[in-house]
Amino acid sequence: MPSAEFLTDAAQRRRTEAMNESDEELLARMLRGDEHAFTTLYRRQQGAIYRFALHMTRSIAFAEDITQEVFLALIEHGRRFDSSRGTLLSFLFGIARNRVWRRIEKEYRMEPFATIAKEVSDEDLLHDLTRRETVEYVRQAIVSLPPTYREAVVLCDLENATYEEAAAVLECPVGTVRSRLNRGRAMLAQKLTRYLVRTGYE
Amino acid sequence: MSEDLRYLLRSLAEADASAEAPPEVEVRLRKKFRSLTLRRVWRRTAVWGPIAAAIIGLIFASASRKPPAAPVKEAAHDALSPVVSKIEMPSPISPTAPTPVRRPASANPTTRQAEIVTEFFPLMDPAPPIGRGQLLRVELPAAAMQMVGLPVHEEHLSDVVHADVLLGEEGLPRAIRFVKFEIK
Repeated sequence: MPSAEFLTDAAQRRRTEAMNESDEELLARMLRGDEHAFTTLYRRQQGAIYRFALHMTRSIAFAEDITQEVFLALIEHGRRFDSSRGTLLSFLFGIARNRVWRRIEKEYRMEPFATIAKEVSDEDLLHDLTRRETVEYVRQAIVSLPPTYREAVVLCDLENATYEEAAAVLECPVGTVRSRLNRGRAMLAQKLTRYLVRTGYE
Repeated sequence: MSEDLRYLLRSLAEADASAEAPPEVEVRLRKKFRSLTLRRVWRRTAVWGPIAAAIIGLIFASASRKPPAAPVKEAAHDALSPVVSKIEMPSPISPTAPTPVRRPASANPTTRQAEIVTEFFPLMDPAPPIGRGQLLRVELPAAAMQMVGLPVHEEHLSDVVHADVLLGEEGLPRAIRFVKFEIK
């Protein structure tokens, strides 16, 4: 009968090993029923997925739900991951993106676009903004972008995805990512111009 | 991208860098993972259980057919009394085609005997992770080889073959490999 100390050491060793494993190796172990592998994978990637969902929807509740749905999909359909088509994170972003789009479509049906667009109104620009408010304002400006441009900005400018990674997630050519990103940034700059003038950045 | 826009986006990225899903999400997902894994194990057991049971049945049937133990020269490889040894699994089992592996077997200096073993054939699919196990050397009818998909000629089905059955920590058979002795 192994001692409790032995078990603790073994568990510790397993955790350390898991930390050094690649996402693909962890996924393979997870699919064989290894919960440690799943937990390591979850802790490694959940932040990026949560932030993506948060920036896309600007709703903490949605971001939590989407994160849960993404990893649930990984548990149930992890075998569908094909490493030749991109990284595991791209695969997870892809699932998150589908969920986000479903939410956005549902929201738009319930709430007219004008109501959402109203979030960035001229009055808001005139407020004396602190850094925290600045961040909140940028967040609002991003969420007011059309979703097609928003996801390009969120992936490339906030999550530091490469054009290739973003293209894999958005299922479009790299050139399309570039053009959406440029258009998204231009729209964002336009929305933020008055704020930039007000705070003396221009 | 203008410097100002870059600055604003960087501010937002930095502010949200530590944003993560709350711990309850992880708790819920781990619970779900456990329940789904358990369900898969049950499903696997339903499929592979009968095959494993048939092999176990053959093991016991072949053991009970054996005559009383006679003096044996090569005790290490005689399966009248199964040889049990603790082993460490080198890697997860994969259901691959058998590739013979030669291993030195006999310590007898006059007759050199080599073991040719197949790869392990999982008795559960997919094979669950295994850290420790026990290897049980048994004799079985060649029909057991057919059960894992190896070709056996009809007339040799009742021939006795040697096999190593890998038992998991819980005592369930996880995998089997077949052994052939080659005397030189």
